[in-house]
Amino acid sequence: MDAKLSDAMERRVFLKGASRGMLAFTVGGAEIVMTPGEARARAVPFRMLGADEAETLEALGETLLPGAREAGFAHFIDHQVSVPPGEALLEARIVNVKPPFINFYRAAIGGVDKASTARSGKRFAALSAAEQHDFIDQLRQNKIEGWQGLPAGLVYFVLRSDAVDVVYGTMEGYESLGVPYLAHIAPDRRW
Amino acid sequence: MATLEKVDVVIAGAGASGATFAAVLAKAGKKVVLLDHGPDWQLGDLISSDMWGRRIKPVGHPFILEGKQVAPIGYHGGWGVGGAALHWFANVPRLLPNDFKIKSEHGRSLDWPISYDDLAPWYDRVAEEIGISGDARAEELWRPAGRAYPMPPMKTFRNGEVWLKGFAANNIRMVPAAVAMNSVDYKGRPACIYDGWCHVGCPTGALANPQVTYLGEARAAGAEVRAWSTVTRVLTDATGRKATGLEYVDRDGQKHVQPASVVICATWAAQNPRLLLNSATDKHPNGLANASGLVGKYIMTHFTAGTNAMFDGDLEGAKGTIGGQFMSYERYGKTAHKGAFGSTLLVCGGAAKASGLTGMHNARPDLFGPALADFMKRAAKGFTRFNAACEEQPKIENRVELVSQKDEFGMPLARIVHNYDDNEAALWNANFEEGMKIAHATDAKDVWQLKGAMNAIHLMGGTIMGTDAANSVVNSFGQTHEVPNLYVAGPGIFPTCGASNPTYTIFALSLRGAENLASSWSTIAG
Repeated sequence: MDAKLSDAMERRVFLKGASRGMLAFTVGGAEIVMTPGEARARAVPFRMLGADEAETLEALGETLLPGAREAGFAHFIDHQVSVPPGEALLEARIVNVKPPFINFYRAAIGGVDKASTARSGKRFAALSAAEQHDFIDQLRQNKIEGWQGLPAGLVYFVLRSDAVDVVYGTMEGYESLGVPYLAHIAPDRRW
Repeated sequence: MATLEKVDVVIAGAGASGATFAAVLAKAGKKVVLLDHGPDWQLGDLISSDMWGRRIKPVGHPFILEGKQVAPIGYHGGWGVGGAALHWFANVPRLLPNDFKIKSEHGRSLDWPISYDDLAPWYDRVAEEIGISGDARAEELWRPAGRAYPMPPMKTFRNGEVWLKGFAANNIRMVPAAVAMNSVDYKGRPACIYDGWCHVGCPTGALANPQVTYLGEARAAGAEVRAWSTVTRVLTDATGRKATGLEYVDRDGQKHVQPASVVICATWAAQNPRLLLNSATDKHPNGLANASGLVGKYIMTHFTAGTNAMFDGDLEGAKGTIGGQFMSYERYGKTAHKGAFGSTLLVCGGAAKASGLTGMHNARPDLFGPALADFMKRAAKGFTRFNAACEEQPKIENRVELVSQKDEFGMPLARIVHNYDDNEAALWNANFEEGMKIAHATDAKDVWQLKGAMNAIHLMGGTIMGTDAANSVVNSFGQTHEVPNLYVAGPGIFPTCGASNPTYTIFALSLRGAENLASSWSTIAG
């Protein structure tokens, strides 16, 4: 196969996956293209996040928007902070967060758990749903006593945008809202 | 460092302005090289997704943003071939005659060295060349007559139409929005399919991004585009009166010099000053073309006062174009709003997607959890918004300047300081007040506004045009006063910004500047 045709085919395959929100995850040493939700269901190991970090992140996502956990909120972010910044699909890049983006998420997660522990003696993931909701409401308004590090409003904004991305920003998400996706590059199947 | 073979023209930046210069000069038989710091995006890379669309925007940019209303870089900037015009909304309102003579007519702000009449023929030329849909006759309610647009207005949808009753009740005449999109097949490019994905890059060719207009023409005429090439300095000869080329770093970190007879800086309003300031020599100790001390000064932006509403029924909010269906210059007079100074452009009917910075969720940033999910379900059917785009007056304190910290290429980072003043706040508030009156005169079930913080969109200024080196960096063609074969192109050369989206004016000024350069080649290129 000549190089030009090969490039074209690779591009077409890539685009089909992209329009479905699929990413390349590593399973058993092999790269497999799947959605973040599928990666979570298959318990694909995290590339960058520690177990506690991923747990906090999932709890944050689910509190910000129901369905984010199952849609693979933590796997999406973990994947995106592991790729070169120029390839990242994160909202963080367009609100002027400096790469490497893992630094932003680690600081955000650390700030949340530190504040949660100071307030309640428990990490964020261990709070009740009502306590998590109250925490986020305070974070949103920059009213968490003793909050340190990143601006609380920025943490809220970026994580909330990430949650919206994984829940509604995909073709499946549009379908759940009853909104036609209208892609120029149609997917080969729904997921 | 490798010194390459000399070319006629080297252009830093392959966005709207660089592509326009390249097309004109390549078609005039000049050997043209465009250098761009990012990827060489193709139409097939423009995926219909807010997430994937972020790849064509800057990442890790070299600016430190300071001030109360920080300069718009992350969302509005470009990264790679096509620049910011690869993801522009393609709204093409013109500046109006009153934008060019603010100092003469009001004793404040700045004048342009040219008038509307000087630029109008170039607006008409651009409309024909890139393809604009709209109703020029209708716009002549507010501007001098010109040529008709080459295509009829775009289709409209309920998400725009529902606002018309409110505007009419407030004596505001709305006309079809002029957009650089195809309402019908045009010049071998297909008609728009109204999918609302303009803002992440249009891969069909219906929207006039550089790849399907001037950049395509430039390539066809032999211009060479070198992606992943970061320009670090403009080089000048020993006299300081002549530019000799550009220094740049390639993807592998190798430094090159591209000699040329003419050098054009087209790297946007933020980067052009950074580049000129970093090109200081003993003949230009404060930065190239900076005898006026104005390189980096008068950075300007637009700001918007948005009004949101929820209606009954299905507005088909995701359909249409992202830029809008109807527009009005009814409040474009500089004193249209009592107690505030500056123009306002009204636009309604932009498509609303489910995610992304302009997504529906950000119409209620206070909501999260089940309340956000509930809002999204309702908004998917009934949400729409309109925007009042407002003019900032130029202020010398708003600036780009170098700092000591350096990037990976050894080039100093730049600080961008940007603040609005009380006048801009007054104009913003006046538009919110009127926006609520408009919304309440519609059939909306719920109306609301977000007045948390003033936003900043569309970066302009920083290398303004004027009559001489005492009051400006360049003349009206973009030619620097001090180095005749060095040009600056793009929104940076606007001395005032009106309230109209800038890209149409960028194209018109660039076309005018490029044709002047081509016709005066032997004098300028030497």
